[in-house]
Amino acid sequence: MLNCKQASQLASRAMDEKLPLWKNMALQMHLLLCRSCTNFTRQLHFLRKAAHRSKTDLDFQLTDEARQRIANALKDKQNG
Amino acid sequence: MIEGNNDLNIQTWLEEHGDYLFSYALLRVKDTHLAEDLVQETLLAAITAKNTFSNQSTIRTWLIGILKHKLVDQFRRQGREVAIGDLIDQDEGDNLDNFFNANGRWTDTPDTFNNPDLAFQQKEFWKVFQQCLTGLKPKQVEVFLAKEIHGMSNEDICKNFALSQTNVWVIMHRTRLSLIKCLKINWID
Repeated sequence: MLNCKQASQLASRAMDEKLPLWKNMALQMHLLLCRSCTNFTRQLHFLRKAAHRSKTDLDFQLTDEARQRIANALKDKQNG
Repeated sequence: MIEGNNDLNIQTWLEEHGDYLFSYALLRVKDTHLAEDLVQETLLAAITAKNTFSNQSTIRTWLIGILKHKLVDQFRRQGREVAIGDLIDQDEGDNLDNFFNANGRWTDTPDTFNNPDLAFQQKEFWKVFQQCLTGLKPKQVEVFLAKEIHGMSNEDICKNFALSQTNVWVIMHRTRLSLIKCLKINWID
């Protein structure tokens, strides 16, 4: 039987890849019985959504103007 | 993935790594224009230094290394004492004592947010989210940004940051625990 630390490790790993069959069964079994880890799993999904949205909501990408400006500066440097 | 000196194509650096470098800088300096300037300075310095690029590292790791030095210069100009070591990970080991007791049970039992979808519409939430990202350890920020925000595959993460698959699991687990805890403490929904 997994403890919560182990279950949370597997739940995190499951966000990134398909777990081996046995590990997945152990995790699902734990989640059936453990409300805390079920909540943690929900939080993991919430976090992923937030991270995806942060790219636009927190402006984690260069604007077209900035990109162009930098591209020009690089070109000048290479030519000069 | 560009590797090897023969393939050093500077314009693709901007395409492939510009957003990543920018988001990393933004988290540190919290000023859009300053972050843009730092990306530009980093890439310009990279052109000058491109002969020093060694195949031992990947372009991204190399560029991040240059950016960190630029950040330290920037902090110094602002009169902030930040050493390059502060931007590089100290070994954290596998210690999860902040989250679990010796029996592997939660020290603070996780609950959920009442209305997660509403969170995204609130400015305050994004402020807290950004603060929580800023509070992560150096390696955690680097990997989390690359993976969860810029969509890099696990395979590329391993290659770029010279990490094993297990390292990535451990870092991501710890990062997620930290972020969730930080959000829960600082954001009241």
